Amino acid sequence: MNELVIALGWAGLCGAMALGAIGSIIGCAIAGQAAIGAMVDTDSGYGRYIGISVMPSSQVIYGIVIMFTLQREVTVDTAPALFGIGILAGLALLFSAVRQGQACASAIHASKTKPEIFGLSLAPAAIVEGFAVFAFVFALVLAGGIPA
Amino acid sequence: MTDSHRYAMLLSALPAHGALFTARQTPLSRIRLEQRLTQLDAEDARTLRTLRTLIEWAEQDPHSSDQAVLERARRQIPTLPDPFARDLADWRLEMRTLICALRRRHRGEPPPSERRWGYGRWTEQVRRHWNEPAFRLERACPWLPEAARRLDQGDAIGVERLLLRTVWEHLERLHDGHHFDFAAVIIYALRWDLVARWTSYHHERALARFDDLIETALDGVELTPEAAA
Repeated sequence: MNELVIALGWAGLCGAMALGAIGSIIGCAIAGQAAIGAMVDTDSGYGRYIGISVMPSSQVIYGIVIMFTLQREVTVDTAPALFGIGILAGLALLFSAVRQGQACASAIHASKTKPEIFGLSLAPAAIVEGFAVFAFVFALVLAGGIPA
Repeated sequence: MTDSHRYAMLLSALPAHGALFTARQTPLSRIRLEQRLTQLDAEDARTLRTLRTLIEWAEQDPHSSDQAVLERARRQIPTLPDPFARDLADWRLEMRTLICALRRRHRGEPPPSERRWGYGRWTEQVRRHWNEPAFRLERACPWLPEAARRLDQGDAIGVERLLLRTVWEHLERLHDGHHFDFAAVIIYALRWDLVARWTSYHHERALARFDDLIETALDGVELTPEAAA
């Protein structure tokens, strides 16, 4: 039983980073494809499209920071907390990255047709980023309460 | 990659459609569109090709009989793997059946004797209510009374505009919730076909107008081989 608890602790430790990375992969791929498509159809603003398409990469960075914050000796006492915080924060980062990628793809598509709405079209992606930041910050706060 | 964003790259590479009736040309050429559609996977490409063959006028063989067209539709539509494409094909062919009924009635023909004279769920309803202005389908097809009225007035362009607008608006409604998936590609291609059709009418109208002007200008002028030389 103790081995299982410790294994779950390790899963939580790595989970925040791994799940964040999966989300960033999917999100950047979706937005990146939209950016490539937009570049095919336009003659300028390429950097802008690529810039938007990498927005979902922030989640993996948050995941890495959470992983380092959680890093400590994995024992039966610390493992449940590591698992809970790591996995739940990781899931939040994963979904936010995927959805942010979709929002970025829509922003690229819309601003290609109407360049004047470029800034406004990024608002949904920015709001999704805000929720990812919530998950990140509160994971750090909670990590401070786990015994070293 | 999520299925709802499968064609993010393809759809972002397609220029937006403007308003249908103000368009002077399609947003991209037919060759360019076909080139971009090569990004579809094999099954989706087949589905789109079948769908366009079934419902677009430009793809129709003018020498085919109604019965042959109906048989082909009844054979091919159930084999379409995408339910969105199947529903859309059903809707367009049902609409075409109703327009066919309006035109037949306008020509003074009696109700069709065959039960399966057209496509879809309204054939029997049309037969039963042949003499009602809109075959008692006003609720299901709100465009039908106006189409019947315009047809009776002999307003052919008005009927065509109404039908194109109805299809355009139907596609616009279907577009909700489909931004980067296969349904969005189908909608784009079918709207492209509508724009191509409308803008080709302009071309035909311009040619007819040009012929009229030539006739007016040459009225009373006799062209002899010597003068032409």
